Amino acid sequence: MSWLPATGAGATPLDRVFGLRPDLYEPFRAFYAVFWTERLVDPVVLELCRLRVARLLGCESEQQVRYAPALDAGLTEEQIARLPDWPRDPSFTGAQRAALAFAEQFVLDPHGIDDDCRDAVIDHLELAGLVALCEALALFDGFCRFRTILGVEAAGGVQTVPGPAAAMSLV
Amino acid sequence: MPARHPIRGDVLALQPEASARFWRLYDQLWAHGVLDHGIKEVARLRNARITDCGY
Repeated sequence: MSWLPATGAGATPLDRVFGLRPDLYEPFRAFYAVFWTERLVDPVVLELCRLRVARLLGCESEQQVRYAPALDAGLTEEQIARLPDWPRDPSFTGAQRAALAFAEQFVLDPHGIDDDCRDAVIDHLELAGLVALCEALALFDGFCRFRTILGVEAAGGVQTVPGPAAAMSLV
Repeated sequence: MPARHPIRGDVLALQPEASARFWRLYDQLWAHGVLDHGIKEVARLRNARITDCGY
């Protein structure tokens, strides 16, 4: 349970914490969902980046979530297990490698993202994809910190859920 | 002629649907809520300073 002395209503731990501010939770869900519903970034690339950010920030509850669109598109638990070794693992595609390098630097020091790192993302995702990836990373980074600070509890194991949608709970 | 918002007008315009939803969230955050504007602004500026974001 969260350390918060009171929580809101909801079916999931994140619901119950963010549910304390329903006026913010509703537009947040709508924004979060757009990356999946509109396929702004390839779902496997998006999922790998989300999980990598969560790992770098030590956010257990985020690391236990799997969004079904990525699994449906071919992502496996075996590849997720190899994620920390992506620089040395040839099974990661060029697009995945470019996005993961960008994501790691985004978390560690955004000023360290050089032209080569940025251009590699543009080569694979185009300029609009770079913008979408930056927005998604800002959400992943910020809300891993949100989950950690407010004590959103982990599910207790890997949990596969549908892709986020504006009208549904987030795990 | 009104000044063009450098983020809304250029960068985020490359993803108009995400931009619209972001601004709905951001506007809600600033226009409503339990924190007064002074606290939000101080936190915003301090975060920008720590991350060395000139914007």
